[in-house]
Amino acid sequence: MVYLGIDIGSLSCDAVLVDEGERVVAWRVVPTGARNLEAIAAARRGVLEQAGVDEVSVAATVATGYGRNRVDGRLAAVTEITCHARGVRALLPGTRLLVDIGGQDSKAILLDGEGRVAEFAMNDKCAAGTGRFLEAMARGLQVELADLAELDRQATERTLTLSSMCTVFAESEVVSLIAEGAAVAEIVNGLHRAIAARTQALVRRIAPAVDGLQVAMSGGVARNAGVVSAVSAALGREVSVPAEPDTVGALGAALIARERHG
Amino acid sequence: MILPYFESLASGIESKLAALAPDEPVARKRFALEIARLGVRLFSGRERLAWCGVLAPFDLLHGLGVTSCFTEFVGAMLASTGGVEPMLEAAEGRGYSTDCCGYHRAVTGAMLQELMPRPDFLIATTAPCSGGLALNESLARHFARDLFVIDVPNRGPDESSVAYLADQLRAMTRFVEEHTGEPADPGRIGAAIERSNQARELLLEVYGLARARPSPARRRDLFNFGLVVSLLLGSQSAVEVARTYRDEFRRRVEAGVGGAPGERVRLMWLQNRIQFRSPLEEALEGLGAAVVVDELNAVTWDAVDPADPYPGLARRILTVPLVGAVDRRIALLRRLARDYQVDGAINPCHWGCRQGSGARGLIEAGLRQAGVPVLNLEVDCIDPRNFAPGQLATRLEAFLELIRARAGG
Repeated sequence: MVYLGIDIGSLSCDAVLVDEGERVVAWRVVPTGARNLEAIAAARRGVLEQAGVDEVSVAATVATGYGRNRVDGRLAAVTEITCHARGVRALLPGTRLLVDIGGQDSKAILLDGEGRVAEFAMNDKCAAGTGRFLEAMARGLQVELADLAELDRQATERTLTLSSMCTVFAESEVVSLIAEGAAVAEIVNGLHRAIAARTQALVRRIAPAVDGLQVAMSGGVARNAGVVSAVSAALGREVSVPAEPDTVGALGAALIARERHG
Repeated sequence: MILPYFESLASGIESKLAALAPDEPVARKRFALEIARLGVRLFSGRERLAWCGVLAPFDLLHGLGVTSCFTEFVGAMLASTGGVEPMLEAAEGRGYSTDCCGYHRAVTGAMLQELMPRPDFLIATTAPCSGGLALNESLARHFARDLFVIDVPNRGPDESSVAYLADQLRAMTRFVEEHTGEPADPGRIGAAIERSNQARELLLEVYGLARARPSPARRRDLFNFGLVVSLLLGSQSAVEVARTYRDEFRRRVEAGVGGAPGERVRLMWLQNRIQFRSPLEEALEGLGAAVVVDELNAVTWDAVDPADPYPGLARRILTVPLVGAVDRRIALLRRLARDYQVDGAINPCHWGCRQGSGARGLIEAGLRQAGVPVLNLEVDCIDPRNFAPGQLATRLEAFLELIRARAGG
């Protein structure tokens, strides 16, 4: 038997299958798009095909992400916070502070010695500093989202600062900076440092001191090495990133399905 | 617009009450009926009216023959009926930032739309917030009416503060006498204070019963209760409402019947509830959680001497934990958390509010020290345009998951 975790987020829908021994059998990431039911079906179908198993082999499904209550046939719906904590416990044991930056939410999660959620904080009011924010900035810069990390690496001065983190204002500020002749690489680096400063503030809400804490990042934004580096510098800690950071929530959901299944 | 609403609300509740079977819950409806009737009186134009600050002595004003209400009540009413957005937009159209308190923006909008009835005078209080004072100043200017400001010291109920505030309440009485043209009647004031004391005794019983496990309070029984019932103090209505709650809760407690189904997680709500329609309470109930106590549902004052009410009324105002240093507020919250055996607390952190957001870190730390985890939301309790149900649901559910994990569940 296998156990399915589905993380339906605003930008991507991720599915992970684990076996009885809690080993990952297959994983799949598909864009959520405008119709999340279709994305859920595509992720589920894709991961089953990849594993070469059929629907009846799935002993239990746990759903997470903002669309978790729309997943049919689920054993339970569990929040991303608990699922990311469970996922990172499996991938990077010993993690005490997890930063999850997804499409529209960013979260700081403090884990206890056994990997359970001790405290958490979420971004307030708006999606500044999330995946959506980076998407809008890439659009303003007329570059590909996937190229941001490499552009950041090319920055030399690394001193440019942005005055606004509002997605609308920041996008127009980016356009103005380009018009003034600022290098795209410097702007990207400034954006990443701004996200890191916001992340640092989020972390401070639950962990005033991070000395000695093992830190990890998950969520799609953790694929951007520029953001990871900036967060590491802001926190003064090395930040570990699992191989597939956007599937950590789905993995956690699959592991919870395994634990909770009769 | 607002008067017909309250008239219709009152008659609708009266009809429902008349149709209820003897064993059906009645307390919340009785309370809502008295509030609807107060709304009718406020907006009828037939009674002497004073718009006030939150801490005004409504029982004393009742004894002086004045119908009175804190202005924020109108903001909450507009939000709960779904009619608040045009008011907020009217205020914002005059330059009031969306970061200002939604209660005050809503009432400002209603004033600009000429939906607020013209008062005979206004009585503001400098606590718990300066925004409320500014709103009353704006209303006074708009309606060209006199404003009396009660300056509430921030030192708590020490004797010099009590004496200072009592003198102001005496001056307020003279101000009312001058504006009504009627001398204060000590007998009438004393009778109002007697009724206020009776209501206080009954409220102590109500809150004592509400501590039971499971809580006898249904989902919305005590929603907005403590603050709004203060508007009825001094009247027989307050006594009857409190007695009805007491009797209803006592029956449930004696029968071991909980108000909310499947109460597994007990929560405390800080400051004000979210006033517009939201799925929050229903969602909590669906997750096996119940708000068993609100911060503002607490009797923090002693009985007031009907023969010499001013020192007692001053002391009452000064014992409200929203006045003065936050340590007093934290002490109350810790006491409530212990008395009601709560598993966690929710602070809505109402936008633009010193009380809601200014001390959130200290409050959180104070409750955590007492073993009570705190969930800080960031919501405008009045403005539904800034409400993200999905994100709120994630926060609530994650908070409950955390509480259950701590409990080993």
